Amino acid sequence: MTRLAMAINRHRCIGCSTCALSCKMSNNVPDGMLWNRVLNEGANTYDGAVGEYPNLSRRYLPLACQHCDNPACQRVCPTGATYTDECGRVEIDYDKCIGCRMCMAACPYNARTFNWAEPVRDTGFNYGEAAVPARRRGVMEKCTLCKERADRGDVPMCVQNCPTDARIYGDLDDPESAVSRAIRENNGYVLLEDKGTRPKVHYFN
Amino acid sequence: MQTSSKAKGAMIALAALTAIGVAAWIYQLASGLAVTGMSNINSWGAYIIMFMLFVGLSAGGLIVASSAHVFNIQKFKKVALPAVITSTVCICCAGMFILIDLGGIQRVWRILAGPNPSSVLVWDMTIITIYLIINILDLVWITRGDEHKVEVLSRIALPVAILVHSVTAWIFGLQIARAWYSAIMAPIFVASAMDSGLALLLIALAALERAGVFTTGDELFKSLAGLLATCIAVDAFFIGCELLTMAYPQAGEAVALGHMLTGATAPFFWFEVICGLLVPFCILVFAKNREKRGLVLVASALVVLGVFAKRVWLLLTSFITPNVQGANGISLGTYAAQADAADMWAQVGSYAPTPIEALIVIGVISLGALAFMILSGKLLTPSTPKDEASNTTAENAA
Repeated sequence: MTRLAMAINRHRCIGCSTCALSCKMSNNVPDGMLWNRVLNEGANTYDGAVGEYPNLSRRYLPLACQHCDNPACQRVCPTGATYTDECGRVEIDYDKCIGCRMCMAACPYNARTFNWAEPVRDTGFNYGEAAVPARRRGVMEKCTLCKERADRGDVPMCVQNCPTDARIYGDLDDPESAVSRAIRENNGYVLLEDKGTRPKVHYFN
Repeated sequence: MQTSSKAKGAMIALAALTAIGVAAWIYQLASGLAVTGMSNINSWGAYIIMFMLFVGLSAGGLIVASSAHVFNIQKFKKVALPAVITSTVCICCAGMFILIDLGGIQRVWRILAGPNPSSVLVWDMTIITIYLIINILDLVWITRGDEHKVEVLSRIALPVAILVHSVTAWIFGLQIARAWYSAIMAPIFVASAMDSGLALLLIALAALERAGVFTTGDELFKSLAGLLATCIAVDAFFIGCELLTMAYPQAGEAVALGHMLTGATAPFFWFEVICGLLVPFCILVFAKNREKRGLVLVASALVVLGVFAKRVWLLLTSFITPNVQGANGISLGTYAAQADAADMWAQVGSYAPTPIEALIVIGVISLGALAFMILSGKLLTPSTPKDEASNTTAENAA
């Protein structure tokens, strides 16, 4: 079996949001939304610091779909539009999505984004990876772990473009893969472990 | 029966509001759900609030009607027909609200083509369909006076009426991601269905009597009001249990509780507690007050409004604080977010319905009221003294 996953080194993350924009470019994500974003943990403004001088800290948390092994979104989807594929990725069949937004309420990470309006793009045309299907108004979308790139052997765009190599991509079921070793050797953890969703995206410091 | 000119005027007004609502809905279909106040951070709004409210209003009516037959409560049998009419109309409104809320209604057949059995929404649609069929059969058989069939049907109708609101509660109560996640969600929903449904029935009965379509009689009215007081108390008890469970550990759901007690949803929470539970209970607990029709109607209206307020705080509180926090928060995906990157983000969930949403909600409610007027005009007959006499005989016999 293959369980495609990612480990994110938060110590290396400099909060440049290159991953967020690479994702947007590659996946033709429309204006007004992102599949992948970088949070400034604990701060209420971006690039803000936490604490009081001189005890200040600043930490970034890149956040997208966690590709859970126990996906709450998939369980509640009435039509089976959200599914787990053979590589363990949580994906959406846009033709089956009826726009009920059960999955959006179910996702503890707010990883999903909905096409409330007709999707528009500042460029005026579709951009990015040609194989990525364009989504229409009224359907849900989110990180696919760059399914189309990965299926032909490339790594996801956020991994490819991260200037500090903070993202490690690979197969969790292979104990010797870079991602498995990174998690094991650095005491990797997952977000909101108490929700029991068992994310495949791991973090370490 | 003859439709009075006043009733005709009301019907024309309701039809006009319905037409405006339909026009607003067509506009929403053409533009997308971006014309509503919803966003990626607060992804359900007025339609889901009204959906919850109307499932409850419906279940309450059918619970009274079928209890009358299941437990052989002779005096309640008299109002079975208006109760089932109310229930049928309300469940149709609830169904309309959930369809209006869909972003891709043209693909709704996918639920039938490939239903996911672990989705509560699939089960909710199933139970609502069964429930609607039961309501229609009930209407037909009560009108025909097919007493035996109604007796049998009521034994199915009662558990289904309780289930229909439980399954609706589980849409929310089984979501581990949100503050809704609580075993008491279904009991709370059933209790508020009982009180709001019964309150609506009392209002409907008074209106029918005023219009000269159906006579309930003071005695029955008073005893239904007594039942309402009991239902309010049960509802208040369940809510109290939930609040204590949220508050006591001073952890976890304390954030959501803070929003309810002093935050954005506090006006709705306190309206429900004071005007929706406390005041109507204090009115109805005294037998003397229950004899005054005006007071009973005020209490009933407060109960329905209180349950509406509960739907608001129950739904929206869970969208305020995201589980994973930090700047810039969540990308909203709204018109404003499309237009300007500065308006693209929110760290705290907020929601206000737009005029389009309001018009659609008013349209659906108007259609419901219109359907109620037409159905009760066609199916109900003013009871004559002879009916009263036969009722009394039946009561004595029982």
